[in-house]
Amino acid sequence: MSVLVELFIGGLMSGLVVGLAALAITLVFGIARFPNAATGDAMTLGAFVALSVSAITGSVIIGGLIAAVMGVAVGVGAYVLVFRKLAGRSSVANLLASMGIAFFVRAVVGLIFGHQQQVFQLPLVRPWRVFDIRIQPSDLTLATVALVTLGAVFLVLHMTPVGRRMRAVADDPGLARVSGISPTRVMIALWAMTGSVSAIAGVMYGIKTVVTPEMGWDMLLPAFAAAILGGIGHPVGAIVAGVLLGALQEMSTPLVGFTYKIAISFVVLLIVLLVRPQGLLGQAEGAR
Amino acid sequence: MNRRQLLAAMTSATLIASAREGWSQANTPFKIGALNPITGSGAAYGTGMQKTIFAAVDEINGAGGAAGRKLQVVADDDQSQPQAGVLAAKKLIEIDDVQALVGIWSSGVALATIPLANDANIPVMVTSGAPEITSPKINSKGLVYRFNATGEGFGQAFAEVCAREGFKRPATMAFNNASGVGTVEGFRKAWAKKGGEIVEAVVYEPNQPSYRSELQKILSVKPDVIVAGSYLADTTIILREWFQTGETQKWILPGWAANADLVRAVGADVTEGLLVVNSVSNETSSAFMSYDAAYRKAMNQSGADNVYAAMAWDMVVVLALAIEAAGPNAEIAAINAKIKEVTNPPGAMVSSFAEGKNALKVGKINYEGASSSVDFSATSDLIPDFDLSVIADGKINRRYIVKI
Repeated sequence: MSVLVELFIGGLMSGLVVGLAALAITLVFGIARFPNAATGDAMTLGAFVALSVSAITGSVIIGGLIAAVMGVAVGVGAYVLVFRKLAGRSSVANLLASMGIAFFVRAVVGLIFGHQQQVFQLPLVRPWRVFDIRIQPSDLTLATVALVTLGAVFLVLHMTPVGRRMRAVADDPGLARVSGISPTRVMIALWAMTGSVSAIAGVMYGIKTVVTPEMGWDMLLPAFAAAILGGIGHPVGAIVAGVLLGALQEMSTPLVGFTYKIAISFVVLLIVLLVRPQGLLGQAEGAR
Repeated sequence: MNRRQLLAAMTSATLIASAREGWSQANTPFKIGALNPITGSGAAYGTGMQKTIFAAVDEINGAGGAAGRKLQVVADDDQSQPQAGVLAAKKLIEIDDVQALVGIWSSGVALATIPLANDANIPVMVTSGAPEITSPKINSKGLVYRFNATGEGFGQAFAEVCAREGFKRPATMAFNNASGVGTVEGFRKAWAKKGGEIVEAVVYEPNQPSYRSELQKILSVKPDVIVAGSYLADTTIILREWFQTGETQKWILPGWAANADLVRAVGADVTEGLLVVNSVSNETSSAFMSYDAAYRKAMNQSGADNVYAAMAWDMVVVLALAIEAAGPNAEIAAINAKIKEVTNPPGAMVSSFAEGKNALKVGKINYEGASSSVDFSATSDLIPDFDLSVIADGKINRRYIVKI
C-alpha cells in the first residue's frame, strides 16, 4: 500500500509540473485560439533566468520571482512583435510562428548559457517518514508554489475586470468585440499571464531535474496531452489532467513496467477522447 | 536572359567545372565529416572532439597532407540524437560530399547513420558502445570502426569490479537505448559467468521529470550495489532522488555519466564513494602527448579529461595514414582496405602521422594511438583497458586498472 502511495506522490509532483505547462498552453488556446509550441522554450528560458539570478543572489525564491517577471516580459514581447501581427490569421500561421519563436529562444539560450547541463544548487535533505511513507520536504514546497500559481491565475480570471474580459473573449471573440472589449488589452494580459506561468513551470521542472536548453521542448508533448485531456481552453481541466496522467503513469508501473508507462497516459487520452471528445472538463462547442 | 544566352552560360559553366576537375584531380582535398555531439547528452565531450579533429587535421596538413592530398573538415552537430544525427549526416554526405564520418559518439546516432554511410560507401568511425554497431548485419560492408570498448566490454569491466569489491546483490538500471541496455546486458552475462545473480533490473525512459518510481522498485529488494548504464543528465536526477530516499548502497557507473560535471551538479555528499569505471587512454604513449598538447591548446584542459577526444585524434590520424598507404588518387574502398593494415601488427611502431608517412616508404606500420594501441579485432572493435576510480570529497581518484 505504501508503495502505491509513494508512487502516487511521485506522479502527483510530475503531474503538477506538466499541469502548469498545460495551463499555459490551454490559456493561449482558449483565448488566442492556437496551440502555442513556444510554451516549452518559455519554460526553459524561465529556468535559466532563475538559475542565473539565484547564482548571483543566492536565493532560489528571488530567482523564481525574477523569472516570473521575465516571463511576463517575454510573453508580452512575443505578442507585440509576432502574434499581434498575425491576429486574424489562421491558427496554423500562429502555430508556425510559435515554433519559430521556440527555435529562436532555444538557440539564444544555447548561445548564452551553453549546452552543458546546469542544476539549481539546493541542499538535499533526507525525507520525512509518515506511516512508513517517504515525504520529501522539497515536494511540499514545489506543490505550494504550483497551488499559489494556480490560485493567482484563477483570481485574475474570475475576480478582476480584465479576467472577466478574457473569459468573454474566450467565450465568443466576436460578441466580446461588439461589446466594446479591446482585444489588445486582453491579449497583453493573456500573454503576461501565460509567460509567467510558463516560467514558473520551467523553474519547477528545472529544480526537479536538470536545466538544459532542450528541457522545455521535451516537456511539450506531455503538456499538450494534458491540455487536450483536460478539455482544451479549460484551465482547471489542464491541471486535473496533468495530475491524473502523472499519477496514472507512475501507479501503472508495477503492472506495465517503466518502458510502457508513457504509453499508458496516451492510452488514457485516447479512451477519454473516444468517450468525451471535448475532454474531461471541456464543453462541446456548438455550431457557429 | 534568352534561350541562346542561357545555353551559352550553361555550356561554359559545365566546361569550367570539368576543366577544374581535370586540373585539380591529384590535389582534391579529402573531406572528413566531423559528426559530433555538440549538444545533448554528449555535450560534455562533443566540442572537445570537434576541436581535436580540426587540430589533428592541421597537424597532418602541416606534414604535407596524405598521399599529396590535404584534409578538409566539415563539422556538424548530431545533438546526441538519432533524428538530428541523420539530418546532419545526410547533409554531410549528400551536400558536402564528405568521404568519411568521424567522431560519432552516441550509439543511437551511430545506428541511425551507418546505413547512410553504407549506401555512400564511406568509412564511419565511432566511439559508441552499443554491441550491435559492429555486428555483420549492420556493418555489412566493413566500413565501421569502433575506437572504444563495446558496451559489453564495459559491462564485463563492471562485473570484474563488482567481484573485486565483494558485492553480492547487484541490481541494474539502464537508460533505454542501445548503449545503456547493451552495457547492462554485458554486465549480466559476465556476472552470470562468475556465478552471480542480479536481484532486480530496471530499464528506464529518457527525459522523465522524475525517476522515483524506478528507484523505488530497485530499492525495494535492498541491493548492495546498483550498476547503471546511464548518461549524465539522468544520472544527475537519479542520484539526487536516491540520496533523498536516505538509502546508502554503492553505485557502479560508467565514466561518461560519472565525471567532474556530475560532481559539480549534485555535490560531494551525494557522489561520495561512487565507483566509476572508464576506459583508459593510452596515457604513456607519445601519441597521447601530442594529442594532449593539442587538446590543451584548443580547450585549455587536460587531454585526460576527454577520452573521446583522444579517440577522435586517433580516428583522423588513422584515416590519414590509410590514405597515405593507399597512395595517390586511391578510391575510398582502397583506403578503407588499408585501415586495419596501418593500425594492427605487424609493422614498425609509429605514434604520429609524420612518423607513419616516413615509415610507410620502407614498409608496413602499426599505429600506436593516443586513446589505445588501436589494434582492431576481426569485427573492427578495440579492447582498451579500464580503470576503477572512487569519488571521495568530490575528487575522482583512480584506484586500479581493470583488464578484461
